[in-house]
Amino acid sequence: MVEYGGCSAKISPKQLEEILKYLPLPEDPNILVDIDTHDDAGVYRVNDDLALVLTTDFFPPVCSDPFEFGQIAAANSISDVYAMGGDPILALNIMMFPASKLPMEAYAEILKGGFDKAAEAGVRIIGGHTIDDFPPKYGLAVVGYIHPQKIITNAGIKPGERLILTKPVGTGVILAGHRLGMASDIALEEAKRLMKLLNKSGAEVMKKYNVRGATDITGFGLAGHALKMAKASGVSIIINMKEVPLIGNSYHLIDDGCIPGASFRNLDYAEKDIYFAPDLDYNLKMLAFDAQTSGGLFFSAPSEKVKEILEDLHTAGLKDSKVIGSVIVQKEKLIYLNN
Amino acid sequence: MRIVDTKGQLCPAPLIAARKALKETVDGDSFIVLTDNKTSFDNLSRFLSDNKAKFVVIESEGVWTLTVTKKNGLGSDIKAEEYCAPVISHFEKGNYVVAITSDKMGDGDAELGHLLIGNFIKALKDLDRLPQHIVFYNKGVTLVAKDSQVIEHIKDLEKMGVEIHLCATCVNFYKLESSIAVGTLSNMYSIAEILASSGNVIRP
Repeated sequence: MVEYGGCSAKISPKQLEEILKYLPLPEDPNILVDIDTHDDAGVYRVNDDLALVLTTDFFPPVCSDPFEFGQIAAANSISDVYAMGGDPILALNIMMFPASKLPMEAYAEILKGGFDKAAEAGVRIIGGHTIDDFPPKYGLAVVGYIHPQKIITNAGIKPGERLILTKPVGTGVILAGHRLGMASDIALEEAKRLMKLLNKSGAEVMKKYNVRGATDITGFGLAGHALKMAKASGVSIIINMKEVPLIGNSYHLIDDGCIPGASFRNLDYAEKDIYFAPDLDYNLKMLAFDAQTSGGLFFSAPSEKVKEILEDLHTAGLKDSKVIGSVIVQKEKLIYLNN
Repeated sequence: MRIVDTKGQLCPAPLIAARKALKETVDGDSFIVLTDNKTSFDNLSRFLSDNKAKFVVIESEGVWTLTVTKKNGLGSDIKAEEYCAPVISHFEKGNYVVAITSDKMGDGDAELGHLLIGNFIKALKDLDRLPQHIVFYNKGVTLVAKDSQVIEHIKDLEKMGVEIHLCATCVNFYKLESSIAVGTLSNMYSIAEILASSGNVIRP
């Protein structure tokens, strides 16, 4: 099966923002979260105890195995519900598949992969829609439950808090490097394992500690998503790139010039709001903009809780979870990227 | 001259080829990169500028020809100072923390005390070893407000790499939430942690 680039297939964030600002936002007091805060999903209040989280995401293949692609696409789609603190319940398949160009077994395998991951998340897929199109694309539209008072948003991080990332960074570089025969099989397997890994256990830890501000890292890269959080929360964020865990040989791939086009798009969008430390390593800088597919949760917590939270995350199997930065009062720039 | 033909290739392949040529070229020498893709051209330009290579571009019939000249070194040993906005060099830090607990220094005349604390903060910038942290609490937080006489010196210290911590309770108490111009709001746990873990706390 052909491979493309997962979340790096996203439209440029700059273009997207230009267009979205001319679209009227619906006004309804029951809309608790919309694109205004650049959030991962929309939230709609049904009554005082229940709100619905809605999100969708789909992209072209990131790997050659159709079953694995289905798993990754589903984990990625469901992740937005976890990032908001919700419990995913139902989903619909969204599929584009070239029935005349690729064997229908691949179609079935993608769907099986999606069902497999959805089942693991406790999500029931109750329908879907397919269009004949090349290259294939797959994802889910997901609905989750959430308590209206317990929504975790981009707008909830506070100065003084520390920032925790639950998965290493580098899926974009590893996938691009693999297509060019530069990434090792071990690195690719590690990237695939991480992309398939649900953010469920990370979200449970966030809920246990009443985390209020979070996102998941996907197509806009670590720095791009951090910027959206800083904007929505009215704060600035410091990221220490040397603390950010990386997948396999992604640092060396960047050093060899293997920088996916999406990184430049993300850099172009975000750089005006970012202060780059004078001694910032160029490869680490570009990794901050690497488009992630099904990346980790990125959330803030008061420093006195960090130790316990990290212990819980490690116990839950998210062994790479780490503090990679902190939230400060808003300054001239929204993101401060250090070594 | 070496010609790196990346026509027909999509990113990041042209970058990888250009990076390889850059690595293998000696300082002062040149090579040519060809591309027929606008995005690849944009990314190559960005990458080459970021890596301090000089290049000239000729575009003709959808093909960009970049003649690249390598200047002193590349990649990891390049210092970004010259192209990143505010210039900050490295300042040495000593193993001590400064706690500013009042808007005055010493007992006695209030006006004099206020002048002295300003001079003290200004003098910190000139020390051979800067403090690791400066913690502001009680009336000390008023020095960090927008209209404070010493705010520029505190901003400088932060730019020099000193971590500025403000007692959040005190900022709220003096109703300074909207006029804080620098620093990180910290709770008492963080402040206690900073003071406890420092070898020396200086309280002017």
